[in-house]
Amino acid sequence: MAKKKNKQIIRPWCWYCEREFEDEKVLMQHQKAKHFKCNMCPRRLNTAGGLAVHIQQVHKLEPENLPRIENALPGRDGYEVEIFGMEGIPAPDVADYKRRKEIELGLAAGSISQPPAKRPKTENRPMSEDELKAALDAHKALMGAANENSTSSAPDQAAGGVYNAPPQAYAVPPTPSPGMSLPPPAGPPGAPPFFPPLGLVPGQPPFPPFPGMPGFPPGPPPGFAVPPGFPPPPGMMPPGSVPHPGLLPPGAPTPLGMPGLPGAPARPPLPPPPTFVPQQGSSVSPPIPPIISGSSPSNGPLATPPPPSLSVTPAPPSTAEPSSHPTLPDPSLHQTNPPFKKPTELKYQDANFSPEELRAYSHKYYYRPSEQVAVSNEESRGKKRARAEDFL
Amino acid sequence: MADSQFALPSPPFDSISKVQYSPTNPTQLLVSSWDTNVKLYDVGDDASGGRRSEQKCKFDHRAAVLTCCFSDAEHGFSGGLDTAVRYLDFSSEKSIVIGAHSDAISSMVYAQELNALISASWDRTLRLFDPRAATPQQASHETPDRIYHTDLVKNTLVVSMASRLFHIYDIRNMQEPMQRRESSLKYMTRSLACMVNGEGYAAASVEGRIGVEYFDPSPEAQEKKYAFKCHRQTIDGVDHVWPVNALAFHPTYNTFASAGSDGTVSVWDHKIKKRLRQYPKFNNPVSSIAFNCDGTKLAIATCYTWDEGEQGARGERERPQIWIKPVGPEVKPKDWQE
Repeated sequence: MAKKKNKQIIRPWCWYCEREFEDEKVLMQHQKAKHFKCNMCPRRLNTAGGLAVHIQQVHKLEPENLPRIENALPGRDGYEVEIFGMEGIPAPDVADYKRRKEIELGLAAGSISQPPAKRPKTENRPMSEDELKAALDAHKALMGAANENSTSSAPDQAAGGVYNAPPQAYAVPPTPSPGMSLPPPAGPPGAPPFFPPLGLVPGQPPFPPFPGMPGFPPGPPPGFAVPPGFPPPPGMMPPGSVPHPGLLPPGAPTPLGMPGLPGAPARPPLPPPPTFVPQQGSSVSPPIPPIISGSSPSNGPLATPPPPSLSVTPAPPSTAEPSSHPTLPDPSLHQTNPPFKKPTELKYQDANFSPEELRAYSHKYYYRPSEQVAVSNEESRGKKRARAEDFL
Repeated sequence: MADSQFALPSPPFDSISKVQYSPTNPTQLLVSSWDTNVKLYDVGDDASGGRRSEQKCKFDHRAAVLTCCFSDAEHGFSGGLDTAVRYLDFSSEKSIVIGAHSDAISSMVYAQELNALISASWDRTLRLFDPRAATPQQASHETPDRIYHTDLVKNTLVVSMASRLFHIYDIRNMQEPMQRRESSLKYMTRSLACMVNGEGYAAASVEGRIGVEYFDPSPEAQEKKYAFKCHRQTIDGVDHVWPVNALAFHPTYNTFASAGSDGTVSVWDHKIKKRLRQYPKFNNPVSSIAFNCDGTKLAIATCYTWDEGEQGARGERERPQIWIKPVGPEVKPKDWQE
């Protein structure tokens, strides 16, 4: 009698997704449709093994390259277990499922099953890299929020209010590093010269001194050409504004040291939103957690710490890196990516610049064309390219 | 087959921009990298216990190197962010600057017929260089947008540009392109390779798709062109779509391999529109691939390809590697007649 009752309580269920079914026939149909369907053709197989063989033989995928079983719970998406309806489910998983069902139905332990309940398989496995990352980000977000509360104030939020990211996402000011003063109009503050200026060789034969150099339009300094439609972050100089030499270096070193301080006494509230004030002084720099400021000299303005939201799902480069950006030589050829019909995650989203172009403009690789190699004789090997760190 | 794959010793320290085998020597591999070096490797048979691979020589540059190519067994060319065109001498390990562009050099091909290097740049020009001439630069031709890739088969040069533009030139008359085309793919062109039989080319986009096109402008030939999806995966109902970073045609079978940011390399038979093989996934995106001249080996460069910008470079990653994969009958069309 009791046994019969159990059977009524425990309905057939799918090991892959723990869904319950009226009877085993429906369960098998479900497994065929949801878990044993080949994602490269319409074919549906009866078992995971069958699917594996099909993919290897028909689609020529090597065994180590098999896609995971679709729609399966974590840890149950492998091919090792041969499931057919209710057959083949590992005993610990059956016991665990029964125990959870008991709890759910408010039954006494053991009223369905005798075997001692074991912890679910999934909890035993070490956290995956993604999970760890997510946990870390959650923690960072928590810490970041605390930091923000203690240092930044409402006006600050208003000035950078365009962004949802916490202020420290753009915290590192693009000021030239200590001890370096650049001639303001030529050198983009964020891109210190990688090489000692050689100057152009006068009368450099067939090559004009780079007239159409797309990187150096008369307007904004190239390092800071902001992607269209993207307002400069609070820590950044607005494009087009020429920094006043007097404003430049003296204040620069300070922000790096000061920011994490609670209260940030030296920092007055920022002026209202639409006017972006050139920020060179320590007085207006948003709060920077000390750890981040340590890394900034080597990486400059791009060394913004990954804001919690961005590190999980990488944003398109155009929004992730507002500072250095190439400019379109011919704006009439501007491209926009057509929309997708299905939910799609396109891994590279910039429609106008290749990954290499964006990379060339990033701080680490940026090469100042004014220091062009003289078109001339032999260049002996072993001449090391100067690194950014050498000048910082 | 997977066991016989091996990694080259002393790989570049930063992302690899291009791997290129010598057109005449099946063991010579030239590699350019973002670590500002070009290296020449002698590729052996490390996995099967044969001759060990080794780095033969190294050329320092002033900035990241985006492209390189061979001219003959002893010489090559390179170009990159420092905009200079360098002529590399492998025996003396010296390089000579023979000219320059006004922006980074993105691609180069050596035209045996003309004895000239054709270099392409983001400065929207194609330039021809003869390293032996007194003034090496022979010509400069403007293009409507930044050039991303070039490839040459026989006398036909295909140039892919930003804004999804293509020009097809006859290198004997570079004044005007033979054909001007817009990409049949709707997203940015990411890679290009010409068929070895000279009938057409394959071009791929950042949106996991490859288009196969034919040079012959007649409607019958153009009707044969097609495109297909690849380097994608559906995860939880969302299509994840990776850029196709490189294409390479097999020198004898005319099948081609494609490589994506998803870390996979697939081999396709474009005649029967079938995939012949997908190799096991690498832990990093694949930035460049090349078959050697006798078609027995495939060089595969794995490294970060900047798809996620600065962010992506910061995370923990496997270091850049160049894998040498001996290829077997899987690259041969099913109906191949010896």
